[in-house]
Amino acid sequence: MLIALENVCKIYNQGQANEVRALSGIDLSVEAGSMLCLKGPSGSGKSTLLAIIGCVFPPTSGRAAIAGKQLARLPDRFLTIHRRESIGFIFQKFNVLPELTVLENITLPLLPLGISPRERRQRAKTLMERLGIAHRENFPAGQISGGELQRVAIARALINRPPIILADEPTAHLDTPLSREFMAIMQQLQAEGKTIVIASHDPLVFEHPAIDRQVAIQDGRIHVP
Amino acid sequence: MFLNPWSIALTLCGLLALALGAVASRTALRVLRFWDLGSDSNRQISLEGEIWLSSTLMAYGLGFQIVTLFLFVLAADQFAQAIAGAMCATGSLLASPYGVPTLLVKLCGLFFYGFWLLLHQLDIRSEHYPLVRSKYLYLLLLIPFLVLDVSLQTLYIAGLKPDIITSCCGVVFGSTAAGESNLLGGSSRHGLLIAFSLASLSLAGMATILLRRWRPRLAWSYSLGWLCFLPLALVVITTVVSSYVYAMPYHKCPFCLLKPEYHYFGLPLYGSLLLAGFFGMSAAPTGLVRSKPGLARVVDSYQRLAVKGSLLLLVIFAGLSWYHFLKYLLVGGEG
Amino acid sequence: MAKRGIEKQLNILDYALSSLWRRRTKNLSILLVFSAVIFLVASFLMVSKALSDRAGQLLVAAPEITVQRMSAGRQEAIPLAHGERLQGIFGIRRVVPRVWGYYFDEVTGANFTVLGVDPLQMPGGDGLATALARGRLPEEGEAGMVVVGQGVVETLALENRQLFSLFRPDLSLKTLTVSGEFAKETGIMTADLLLMHPAEARDLFLIAPGFATDLCISVANSREIETIARKIAELLPDCRVLTRPQIQKTYQVVFGWRSGFASICLLSAVAAFIILAWDKASGLAPEERREIAILKVLGWETADVLAVRFWEACLVSGLAFLLGMLSAFAHVLFFSAFLFRPILLGWSVLAPGLSLVPALALGDFLLLAAFTVLPYLAATVIPAWRSATVPADSALGG
Ligand SMILES: Nc1ncnc2c1ncn2[C@@H]1O[C@H](COP(=O)(O)OP(=O)(O)OP(=O)(O)O)[C@@H](O)[C@H]1O
Ligand SMILES: [Mg+2]
Repeated sequence: MLIALENVCKIYNQGQANEVRALSGIDLSVEAGSMLCLKGPSGSGKSTLLAIIGCVFPPTSGRAAIAGKQLARLPDRFLTIHRRESIGFIFQKFNVLPELTVLENITLPLLPLGISPRERRQRAKTLMERLGIAHRENFPAGQISGGELQRVAIARALINRPPIILADEPTAHLDTPLSREFMAIMQQLQAEGKTIVIASHDPLVFEHPAIDRQVAIQDGRIHVP
Repeated sequence: MFLNPWSIALTLCGLLALALGAVASRTALRVLRFWDLGSDSNRQISLEGEIWLSSTLMAYGLGFQIVTLFLFVLAADQFAQAIAGAMCATGSLLASPYGVPTLLVKLCGLFFYGFWLLLHQLDIRSEHYPLVRSKYLYLLLLIPFLVLDVSLQTLYIAGLKPDIITSCCGVVFGSTAAGESNLLGGSSRHGLLIAFSLASLSLAGMATILLRRWRPRLAWSYSLGWLCFLPLALVVITTVVSSYVYAMPYHKCPFCLLKPEYHYFGLPLYGSLLLAGFFGMSAAPTGLVRSKPGLARVVDSYQRLAVKGSLLLLVIFAGLSWYHFLKYLLVGGEG
Repeated sequence: MAKRGIEKQLNILDYALSSLWRRRTKNLSILLVFSAVIFLVASFLMVSKALSDRAGQLLVAAPEITVQRMSAGRQEAIPLAHGERLQGIFGIRRVVPRVWGYYFDEVTGANFTVLGVDPLQMPGGDGLATALARGRLPEEGEAGMVVVGQGVVETLALENRQLFSLFRPDLSLKTLTVSGEFAKETGIMTADLLLMHPAEARDLFLIAPGFATDLCISVANSREIETIARKIAELLPDCRVLTRPQIQKTYQVVFGWRSGFASICLLSAVAAFIILAWDKASGLAPEERREIAILKVLGWETADVLAVRFWEACLVSGLAFLLGMLSAFAHVLFFSAFLFRPILLGWSVLAPGLSLVPALALGDFLLLAAFTVLPYLAATVIPAWRSATVPADSALGG
């Protein structure tokens, strides 16, 4: 199992007045090479679950093994190191830095790895060509269209060659054709052996034929209808 | 002599170091009290963030320590212009009972900061942060030392009066006429040189053996050897090496080496010696934490690095210290 | 491994550069203020160093012991017989009478220093010959021969004249012949100097024969200066005895005190800047927060972001240091430190009209850095850490 969660709980601000129980008792396992969709209403805990799978923070309790590493009790530094080796993130608002160029945005994850500018550019070039944004290489990311932005985000998620791709509401800011295109790219990636987890309440996503499995979340629990 | 640019700079650096130390010790107290790696509380999360603050502060502390050590020697050299009988830093340092202690404390401070940073680097390489408590206990112990450093320095500056009469390197380290007192008298040049050569050769030998196969006992004697070698090397620099650098048999001074007149020869000389000493002395003691979870490989690779580093720097240091002597032998004394 | 580490730092440095450039208006204002502060401190340190070096050069030439006769608190001509009485003191090598004074030339409005001393008797007098650009030193018994400095040549327009005249106090003319000129390089000490035999100087100033302005005494062992000075003072109670170390030390102490006082004033400029830097660094703008959260979720460690901030601080302070230093250098060298004229007024008599050449050593750079760069680094470390600990999950959102 590439992702194995056992009885995972996440409590924000534990022990304080503003304590929030975002996840409780989540059991979930995902095989390598599958594509999973998390769906659920707003505030149900999708993003929180994705953050735990994405090694952004450890679960408050329970066990979470991601790409062969047990996350419980792992200090922030090691979560980060594991995250940059195993996870590619695609965010709802794409989270690009508008003043940097497309190339610079795509290669951001490689800087702390000590990879030389030449190799960085080479890697990015292959991805940009594949995603059809090579002609935008030196454009500031703030000046390109939404569809291109989406591809930049995908390229950035792939640049460190992670086995797992996570996407949080990737289609929320895209129109229907672009959303279809996005799912098509995801399908390709899955065919290459990537494991993909998408959190979305967009039917275009969770009813897409490439999705192997849907998991519904409600109030921080996996909802079995 | 507070109203002098050098005194003011030293005092400013001292105050800055104290301020950084105070912030770091606040983190240390919080870590010692509340650290709980298993917890997911906001406090633990902020503590994990504060580790980076304290380590940055300590790295800055080391940088400041290096700067102030250098500044202190240069300041003493400047003070010499205003103190009767003082020609260079030696004279001004001896002009007050606090001069030499301040220098020594600053020198030791260099190593203490260095060891802390080493401990920190080892600690953050293990997922369990096994040294976090000892690291911060150590940091707290460093604070009184820092206070001692700054107060000695302040006492030294305050105690300097232009009308103090002192003696300078010519008298202090020079060859003694009968009856005159000499700080390093009694030890003959040849004896010193032989001891120095033997010591460096045996350190190099131990390092080579250690690089072939690690033996804990040998490692300990290597580290202790470095502990003894450091003062010996300082004495040899003062009494033998320096006069060949100055090309004057009676000019013996450990500080003038740092002046532009001698092309800052002292910088690489002392730099290689101190760094080699740091590596050498830390090689064996790091073995003490080898048994902590997740540290075995990290410690092993550091120990090899330390032995390699100290060996390389020892060679550089020895080369530098023999350079002027050999030049003197080959070219003759006129240089 | 090590190569990766260096490459990583280079990447981070590169990112820091681009990050500085992206916030250029803010950073430029910091850079300018910081350069201005460094400029002030550096100019001041350079001027005080140049002046104290100058003074040191002047004082080296001062005699080891100077004896002046005092009467009613004012200096008077000293009879040469006093010198004879000193010969008995053990340790005195030589007593050289000097006749010297200032001559005010009413035509040009210039002030010359007239020094009447026998060059052969002066300690290091043979060194004087090498200070000549042309000609020779006046010899015993040659009437009216004088060696002049370059400043004198210029003011009196002596380029192709050998003869010139000066007024005695009774307005009669004394004719002098130029026997030699001091070299330009010795300008600091010789520019306004007229060197002649004591007898000639006495004639010019109308001092009675058998008297001198003061007596210069050289001693055999420089460690005995103080002892000998005390003995002289006992022997000649109507005289003031000055020793070179005394003058030097007093001078150094007063000078150090003055420049220390000024440094404290300059510290307030540094402090004001540090407060500004802190203020600028600690306000974490929302875009900046977002940027760091993105970097962190993409796999940057807290230490990496701290390194970005550290490099930024280094770049800003390094550039400001360079700018401030260069402009201070120009200010002192080419504009004779005009900004510090009011503070340095008292010292201008030391080296009138001469350009200051700041000779800087590594230590002076370090001193300057300790005054400016270190406080800046210390002031920015906590804001830098604050920004580096923005949690990665704040980039998730939505
Ligand atoms: N950093 C945080 N601090 C405190 N509470 C939080 C935090 N992040 C999320 N929460 C709370 O945790 C619960 C789950 O949030 P989460 O963002 O995981 O939901 P979601 O399913 O992604 O919702 P949406 O569809 O709106 O993105 C919510 O009640 C939210 O208010
Ligand atoms: Mg969400």
